Amino acid sequence: MAFLKPVFANVDRAAAGWERRRRRAYLAGLLPALVVLGVITLLPGLFLLGVSLTPLSLVNPSTVFDFSDPLGNYRELLRDGRFHNSVLLQLHLSATSVGLQLAVGLGVALLLNVRARFFEAIRTAFLIPMVLPPIVVALIWKILYTPDVSPLHRLLEEVGLPIDSLITDPGLAIWAIAVAETWQWFPFTMLMVLATLQLIPDEPLEAARIDGASRWQVFRHIVLAYLRPALVVCGLFRLIDSLKAFPLIYVLTNGGPGTATEVTNYYGFIEAFNFSYWGYASAIAVIMLGGAFAVSWLVSRLGWNEVHHD
Amino acid sequence: MAPKHPFPHEFSRRRLLAGAAAFGGGLLLPGKAPVYGGAKPFAGVTLNVSTFNAPFARILTKWLPEFEEATGAKVVYDTPAFPVYNQRADLELSTGGAAYDVLNITFIYSSRWIGAGWFTPLDDYIRDVNRTPADWDVEDFLPGLRAPESDKAGRLYGIPWTVDTFISGASRFDLFKDAGLGLPDTTDELVTALKAVHGKEKVAGFVTDNHYGWTFVPFLQAFGGNVFRNPPDDLTPVLDTPEVVAAAEYFARILKEFGPNGVLSYTEDQTLQALQNGRANYSAIGQTYLSQVGGPNSRTASTVAYSPVVRGPAGRFPGVATHGLGIPAASKNKDAAWAFIQWALSKKSTRRAIVEERYASPTRRSDFESAEFKRITSVNGYDLSGLISSAVDLAAKQGHMKYRTVPVYPQVDQQLNKAIANIVSGQLSPKQAIEQAQAGSITDLRRAGVAI
Repeated sequence: MAFLKPVFANVDRAAAGWERRRRRAYLAGLLPALVVLGVITLLPGLFLLGVSLTPLSLVNPSTVFDFSDPLGNYRELLRDGRFHNSVLLQLHLSATSVGLQLAVGLGVALLLNVRARFFEAIRTAFLIPMVLPPIVVALIWKILYTPDVSPLHRLLEEVGLPIDSLITDPGLAIWAIAVAETWQWFPFTMLMVLATLQLIPDEPLEAARIDGASRWQVFRHIVLAYLRPALVVCGLFRLIDSLKAFPLIYVLTNGGPGTATEVTNYYGFIEAFNFSYWGYASAIAVIMLGGAFAVSWLVSRLGWNEVHHD
Repeated sequence: MAPKHPFPHEFSRRRLLAGAAAFGGGLLLPGKAPVYGGAKPFAGVTLNVSTFNAPFARILTKWLPEFEEATGAKVVYDTPAFPVYNQRADLELSTGGAAYDVLNITFIYSSRWIGAGWFTPLDDYIRDVNRTPADWDVEDFLPGLRAPESDKAGRLYGIPWTVDTFISGASRFDLFKDAGLGLPDTTDELVTALKAVHGKEKVAGFVTDNHYGWTFVPFLQAFGGNVFRNPPDDLTPVLDTPEVVAAAEYFARILKEFGPNGVLSYTEDQTLQALQNGRANYSAIGQTYLSQVGGPNSRTASTVAYSPVVRGPAGRFPGVATHGLGIPAASKNKDAAWAFIQWALSKKSTRRAIVEERYASPTRRSDFESAEFKRITSVNGYDLSGLISSAVDLAAKQGHMKYRTVPVYPQVDQQLNKAIANIVSGQLSPKQAIEQAQAGSITDLRRAGVAI
């Protein structure tokens, strides 16, 4: 049968050649998208990484391509107490605001999951905070939190329950921001949950009820199982977005009192735009970027976004 | 070729009148701004101007059509809030952008921006008779205000358009009088007075804005402290001295005990509103704001009283800051930009601002000494012009404002903001907060390459 070997070899070579051509064709098709992705996403990211390896300060031109101590900024970050404090505050703000958004969004969605015209109409009204420009949201809450002009403070004063300014109280300021952030973004979770609720088939719900399951058991074991992927996606989106918290902090507290609301994003902003330490601020940005990737990876590894309701 | 100066002022008026006599008075349109020989040397030019929002900026915005009519240039005048302006200008200048043709040179950034070569020296423009008439008179601007707008070689980069001097005032001085008190002259008297008036008729005793890198420093210096060891030559921060700790404790105490609810969030505008509406009584703040408490829109105009900033154990140290109009080095319309600055700060314009708009922050000596200025700055018998000029003279004599124009002051400024907020909000003791500010300042300065 040895005479057949060259024939098979030819067939194998032809198949391999065809496979290579097919791969090249796929690559050629993908190439424009990859180039665009590289130019608009990877290149700026790499540039950021490059800048973070220099002590770039805009008032000192000699620092532009100074790679003599590439890890200098990262070493300094390890020693920078203000940065450590900002990371803890960031975690606090992200956890509280995302937790509140998920809880309030889920609660409101369950309340509004009624097939009636009235409820369908007010669903739209609940979406208003989400579509407002962030600076408008910040102004609304600035007014609410400023004792001089706040209807909230006046009302509490009228009923004999005056309170101190929330945004100048170091223990409450971060919560005040979390509440404002929740008000703006809970509609996102509400919308996603409402859409998912519409997709839950009636059969498992009816079967559970016939088997004697309570309302809580139905919710806990069936509804929540269906909602879990949507909640995870919402949580992930909001978590990543919470790392970008800026307008509310800028307008409401300016990072204060002291550094009580100076989250990492805001600290990076101060280093870059108040003091022109672009190298150092880029290192902060790279750490934040790494954090966002780590959260996404962790969620995908844990498989919380997969549906398990069999 | 440089265009001939479009605003030769009295000279141009004479020429215009001569032209009118020759060509017939009918050619002169009433109400129009003077035009050099009828030419519009900057027709087609769009000038982008930005300063922070302030009374003089609002006046110029109102008068812009006259400049546009006279020169043919179109002016886009942007006036964001002070911190926003500084961030935007700093970014624009540091990246060599040519988006702006005229920018404000902010006092605390003046050394940094000028030293980095981000602005155009104006001396050649001023000396050139084709661009600047002799009677424009740059020497008329107070020397103490020109100094921070100049580099070490004495080249001038910005023309001062406003001066902010730190003074004190009581919007409800009637409450002081009811308590048998005059305006306090010392830091001790201030506490005594605030104890007596705080809470009377629901009026908070004391208010000032939360830019403590500006409002706290006069107290810091009054207690014998300083920011740097010997600015501008030795920039070692010296915040961790007993004098600074004592000053911080004192200042935080008057804010906490006598300030309105949420005083830590008060900006300059909020402070002014609180004073004008009689919600807060005594303040130590810049005269550009405090003078407005005696203005027509204030509910407390009839009860306001003014005095110099209080003196402490080491003396009296009123803050003095000035801001100038300059031309970014990257501007592509420098001649038109200079024409704009020249027009905005001509003798005629600055005097007109005083007469027509009650502008209370002039920078020309001739304006300070004018009867018009003395008239508008006399409020309830108090001579604000005297308070302002004596503060400027005292700052020039003592040199206590040198700390403020060094390139790294913005970093220390923010450390002081945080220190006072940390003390008032109870997060740190005065000693801890000041030590933290000192350590933070040293870190920031080292990061900026300052040898300490």
